[in-house]
Amino acid sequence: MTPDHLTTTFAALSDPTRRAILARLVTGQATVTELAAPFAMSLPAVSRHLKVLEHAGLITRGREAQWRPCRIKAGPLKEVADWVAHYRRFWTESFDRLDDYLRDVQKKEKNHGHRKHHGK
Amino acid sequence: MATGSIMANEEQELVLTRVFDAPRELVFKAWTDPKQVAQWWGPHRFTNPVCDLDVRPGGAIRIHMRGPDGTVYPMTGVYNEVVEPERLVFTSAALDADGNPMFEVLTTVTFAEQNGKTKQTMRARVIKTTTHAAPYLKGMEAGWTQSLERLAESLAKA
Repeated sequence: MTPDHLTTTFAALSDPTRRAILARLVTGQATVTELAAPFAMSLPAVSRHLKVLEHAGLITRGREAQWRPCRIKAGPLKEVADWVAHYRRFWTESFDRLDDYLRDVQKKEKNHGHRKHHGK
Repeated sequence: MATGSIMANEEQELVLTRVFDAPRELVFKAWTDPKQVAQWWGPHRFTNPVCDLDVRPGGAIRIHMRGPDGTVYPMTGVYNEVVEPERLVFTSAALDADGNPMFEVLTTVTFAEQNGKTKQTMRARVIKTTTHAAPYLKGMEAGWTQSLERLAESLAKA
């Protein structure tokens, strides 16, 4: 996991329009005009979003001057998915252990607790 | 008995909830006593040879987590808010091999009483990045959503 990539990817993905663009590109390549269609947004505004996505390595664009189809690139998204999965695993398993721990502590308290013995 | 769920809310945070069959004070202590934290912090079969917690606003967090294969994962952080027994806010950073923070995560944990049990809600969001990315990220808050996660998963499979 390269930190710069990951954080750049997170930043690029922090915008709902850009996520919508990516979701559209999952179904296949598209031109700027096609990508702009669902949004109440000018072509230059959409182009700016595409630049951010391109900079983050999330999309590639064709060479043709007029018709530059955008395609999605899976690499950086996989990095994010890996990180989220790692994060989820970390806390889910920690909380499983916390659950066990709390159960043990209370069991011990019950076994020793009747004499109101507080220990040290 | 624990129930849990993971979801992303409208503010694009990662949200994890759990219900623990224990009073709130006990859960809060398990989060704030270093000896207790060391017993549950991290995935299964991980240990925490270093677990220093200075639990007060501005206080430092330093945990070295050790995996079953012996790899040590250092983590540092600082408490932003400590409200016993209901709320903990801390910023933490995973460190790379050179000890530099890779990115920071702001974590808010709240504990609510629920019929003698404790409902714990954790919210996390990535707030800061390396200096290289900082100018680029100016004024932006990174986050992620479940839909994004699904999107990423479907791409990873493709």
